[in-house]
Amino acid sequence: MSTRRQTITLYRNLLREAEKLPAYNFRMYAVRKIRDTFRANQTINDFKEIDRQVASGKNNLELIRRQVIIGHLYTSEKLVIEQKKTLRPSDD
Amino acid sequence: MSFTQLARSCGRLAALSTVRIASGAQTQAARMMHLQRITMPAMVSQVSSQKLIVRCFSARNTMEEIQHRVLKVVCAYDKDSRCRWQTQAVRSYSAKPPLSLKLINERVLLVLKLYDKIDPSKLNVNSHFINDLGLDSLDHVEVIMAMEDEFGFEIPDSDAEKLLKPADIIKYVADKEDVYE
Repeated sequence: MSTRRQTITLYRNLLREAEKLPAYNFRMYAVRKIRDTFRANQTINDFKEIDRQVASGKNNLELIRRQVIIGHLYTSEKLVIEQKKTLRPSDD
Repeated sequence: MSFTQLARSCGRLAALSTVRIASGAQTQAARMMHLQRITMPAMVSQVSSQKLIVRCFSARNTMEEIQHRVLKVVCAYDKDSRCRWQTQAVRSYSAKPPLSLKLINERVLLVLKLYDKIDPSKLNVNSHFINDLGLDSLDHVEVIMAMEDEFGFEIPDSDAEKLLKPADIIKYVADKEDVYE
């Protein structure tokens, strides 16, 4: 059975791993999906269903971990929206 | 295919044909020679066409282009005549700016204000996240993660669930960073 604490830890771990995804689109999608799914399933009362959801969450956590590693093997250039603007003296 | 590979395969073909000749199979050898005569010029023409293409590229460069390219390379290595701001790649190894309780207070409240589910007008140092500000446990996790990002250290779960007010977070951060004033 999954306790409240385990679930919250899972949520935290999922978000932490999702932040590490190098590709902007994947990262944003993962964070959004994790948040929305947890919020959508917040009110489930059936213990079996909760266990099933937590198990799928754990699977997805492993998937994200693998995907982070693969993503770092094949990194591409950062998108324009990701780049922080660096100020040069000539710009002002 | 690189030139060395081509040369090697040509050499191998030649060696093969000579072995066949030595073995005495005359017709076979003749056929091989014939084959070789056909294949060799084909390869040579391939090589020469590649060479030609390369030559074409190099020939198409005008004097100005070459000059421009060389000057660009030289400029990249020349540290003096380059633009000033490019050479000033300052490496700052300094530590974080010293924290004070007031600064921590401000930063915590700023992060909380920027969090979209918290009403900034209700926010107070002693307001309870769940009872007063109406957050749930998932929001609380996100708030704690935002604090981790802000102050640059991890907050373990066992500590995180005790941090239920902004004042708790301020106290915790101050303890972690050894700030007492």
